[in-house]
Amino acid sequence: MTWLRRRIRPEQIREFSLLLLIVVAVLIFGSAIDNYYTSRTFNRIASSVMIITVVAVGQTLVVLTRNIDLSVGSIVGCTAYVAGVRIAADNGLPAIVPVLIAVALGAAMGAINGVLVAWGRVPSIIVTLGTLAIFRGLLVDYSGARTVTTDSLPPWLVDLPRLDLFTLAGLHVKVMVALALAIVIAFQLATSYLTFARQFYALGSNPDAADLIGLPTRRIVLTAFVLSGALSGLAGFMTLARFGNITVEAGRGLELEVVAAAVVGGVNIFGGSGTVIGAMLGGVMIGTLEQSLLRLQINEFWRDAVMGLLILLAVASDAVILKRLRALWARADLEMIARSAPRTGEAP
Amino acid sequence: MREYVLAGAALLAVGMLSPGAHAQVKATPGKAENMVLLPKFLGILPFDQAHRGAEEAAAELKNPAKLQYLGPTPENSVAGQIEIVTNATTQGVNAIMISNNSGDQIVPAAKKAQAAGIKVVTWDSPIPSAEGEDVFVAQVDFTQTGRVMADMALKIMGPEGGKFAILSASPDAANQNAWIAAMQEALKDPKYAKLQQVGIVYGNDQSELSYNQALALVDKYPGIKLIMAPTSVGIVAAAKAMQDEGLCNKVKVSGLGVPKEMLAYTKNGCAPEFALWSFVDLGYLTYYTAYMLATGEIKAEPGQSFTAGRLGNYTITKDPTRKAGLRVLMGPFSIYDASNVEAAAK
Amino acid sequence: MIAAAFARLRGWEGLLLALLVVIVVVNMAHSPYYLGVGNIINLFQLEIEKIIVALMMTLIIINGEIDLSVASVMGMSACVMAWSFRAGVPLPWAMLAAMASGVAAGLINGFWIAYVGLPSLAVTLAGLIGYRGVARILVQDRAIGDYPGWFNALGQQGLVGPLTLSIIIFLAMFAVLGLVLHGAALGRLVYVIGNNLQAARYSGVRVRRVKMTLFVASAVVAALAGLLYAARLGSVRGDMAQGFELDIITIVLLGGVSIFGGSGNLLGVGLSILVILNLRNGMGLADITGNTQTSVIGALLILSVLAPNIAQAIHIRWKGRET
Repeated sequence: MTWLRRRIRPEQIREFSLLLLIVVAVLIFGSAIDNYYTSRTFNRIASSVMIITVVAVGQTLVVLTRNIDLSVGSIVGCTAYVAGVRIAADNGLPAIVPVLIAVALGAAMGAINGVLVAWGRVPSIIVTLGTLAIFRGLLVDYSGARTVTTDSLPPWLVDLPRLDLFTLAGLHVKVMVALALAIVIAFQLATSYLTFARQFYALGSNPDAADLIGLPTRRIVLTAFVLSGALSGLAGFMTLARFGNITVEAGRGLELEVVAAAVVGGVNIFGGSGTVIGAMLGGVMIGTLEQSLLRLQINEFWRDAVMGLLILLAVASDAVILKRLRALWARADLEMIARSAPRTGEAP
Repeated sequence: MREYVLAGAALLAVGMLSPGAHAQVKATPGKAENMVLLPKFLGILPFDQAHRGAEEAAAELKNPAKLQYLGPTPENSVAGQIEIVTNATTQGVNAIMISNNSGDQIVPAAKKAQAAGIKVVTWDSPIPSAEGEDVFVAQVDFTQTGRVMADMALKIMGPEGGKFAILSASPDAANQNAWIAAMQEALKDPKYAKLQQVGIVYGNDQSELSYNQALALVDKYPGIKLIMAPTSVGIVAAAKAMQDEGLCNKVKVSGLGVPKEMLAYTKNGCAPEFALWSFVDLGYLTYYTAYMLATGEIKAEPGQSFTAGRLGNYTITKDPTRKAGLRVLMGPFSIYDASNVEAAAK
Repeated sequence: MIAAAFARLRGWEGLLLALLVVIVVVNMAHSPYYLGVGNIINLFQLEIEKIIVALMMTLIIINGEIDLSVASVMGMSACVMAWSFRAGVPLPWAMLAAMASGVAAGLINGFWIAYVGLPSLAVTLAGLIGYRGVARILVQDRAIGDYPGWFNALGQQGLVGPLTLSIIIFLAMFAVLGLVLHGAALGRLVYVIGNNLQAARYSGVRVRRVKMTLFVASAVVAALAGLLYAARLGSVRGDMAQGFELDIITIVLLGGVSIFGGSGNLLGVGLSILVILNLRNGMGLADITGNTQTSVIGALLILSVLAPNIAQAIHIRWKGRET
């Protein structure tokens, strides 16, 4: 017990409890759906979660600094469209060009958010509610109702969603899924071990204190928004590859799904706590519920109601499990103090 | 005896039509009529094409008043359409042309517009109860839509038939609901006895959900041979999903789609055949109809005939697909396959 | 008292008031129809359900919480009414059933937030999906209309002069909630809890009861707004009021209410309502619709906070140079 307690941080308990819930959900669905345990199910869930996950990583960084980014859906739409128009105009461009266009444009849009929040001192929810509408409005104007069509894209881009990175025990791991996973791991490691990235937590836990001890708070907030924008841009490129057909509606409403993933994943919306892995697990949880519900033989009209109920159950049982585990940890703490107290008494 | 009755009915029908038939009204150009073209929402190709058609008609008719193309955003479509109709009424325009996305919820606003002397013409999607509407410019006959879809299904699945599923827009989409109902009616014909429809799912006209729903259909109903998607968003998403999963040989996609968006999938066989009508022509005919109603050259009554520029002659009739209401039927369907899709996509 | 009111006018409310004056003047100059009685009534009627719900949302956000489920509760309430009516229940009873569904939704939200302690964002996000689901189950792909004439008239025609029932309800609610928030004990508690939850707990405030009351009230008001919306449109579908929550929250935030709770007031929200409604109406009459309209409102939202901040920064720098 002590061994466990020393090695595991409270944040990881939360992730563990969420993982447990996902396993339970999979077991339940597995017993209700024929042919559930197949590589196909894995693929469905993985591909449906990958785009949300990439955006949710950026969102987590922003939320850690006690801010929120509601403009991500519009950034995804803009970047998917602009990158699509560019590659459609010249199919011979190297693959890296549309990726860079999408990421750079996303980062620029994130920078606008970040500057307004950090230097303009406008609350992030107001800034991003505004840019949610403004970015979409600009896209609609710019596009003139034209659509990026699959036919105009180079074959490598259209085939990208099908491309396997490797096949492990019958599970086809797609390149784009692996990319999303790599991003999660990279950001998880960075936010755990890099000093600069730890500052996101410091700032979110106590902005006044962070200011007092001389952290560059404005730069941290700007960085968070730029990263959120850049990752949304990457998600925009992934959206382009996945759907091929991009209208000005691409990515609309994504912000709600991303916030849902973060909230279910235990990211505290008032800043300071939560992890990138947690947000991913939140996304996986919701994706699993969504994809599995689609396959259940239930009436189409019942799906939303069941989905709402399941999310509530997930959040509630997560809270309950967490409470139990915390109590267990606290008891272990007490025991250790009790055991060590006499010894300290004997010491010289 | 039966033929006799039919002949009588035919005579009666001709008799009803005849007053208009000999008075083919031609529009007088140059009258100033303030007109509003209101799509379901802004930013997608078909409505933009309709706008182009309406502008073409406006230029031909030399209407000195500028055509206003006003629309809501998709997430605010119902409230936005009502707002635009209400504000147009306040401004006292002469005609409003609505692609109705609000079902009967638009009725109070449309009635107030009519009470203020405004001509209300619907296009693409009518007001179901026809209240508050002068006339509906129908792109195609909704019953025929059902038959066209059934025919495409039969052709793609072949004489041995099989199972197919439907991927629709939202459960509230009046057009899609009417077309699906018409197809189900058409399927009762013994000709289609071997076609079995196994389910309807809704992709809410979002790419993501439509894509996932298409894949879920394949999982849920193993052995289906066709996904029929009477929505331009759904059909592309479904075709891409089948292509990504390498299922195009087993599960085909068909329905209503825009040639430009479908080009890739028709050429590679994922969606061998689909249908649509010309939105440019629809906008053009709608403008002519509304203009002539506004000038008073025609009235919203059955039997009124008029000439709509390059499209030729049309007659206002009772709408047989609704309990009430009048319509002008444009037609016809264009069926697209590998042989003609490229030309249409230009 | 007067001095306090004056001080307030120099702050956020003053800014909104100035903005409102500018918008009204521009609208008057631009459109001859703007000041017509019919247009003024329309201006309120077109957004009336949102602004009714926004009033209650003000209290929720000041309390440090959020209710994302309001639009879905509006839809659910309308669908419960429509479904019962279609099933043969007399309309008044169907309306009562709809209000009961609102109470139930509020109790569910309140239970998980106040008594279990889950974050309101998560609970009401589940509600946003779940209550919409209930609406969909009841109405499916139908549109349910053909209500008695009196019901449609309530939603569409003036009750007292040109004032419709919805507008009267809005004005009454504004007065009552203003009194509650700024004059009654409950109002103080709403602020205290929003300012510092822990301190409120330790000083014996019955936090749970206050939160429960607010969430039930929010859902009941949303249910009522759903019925008013149904009466205004005369027909009910499963997607009624879908997506309204963002507009409602935008109104409250522009009113100067902090998303972190504890600050803001109803006067500010009242002014914000007038600003947004007049701006929308003015743009509508100038044939500006769709994404352009939402973009302008988005830009306004940002600028209204940004401009005073920049002015202040310049002011401080200026002063610094003088001394």
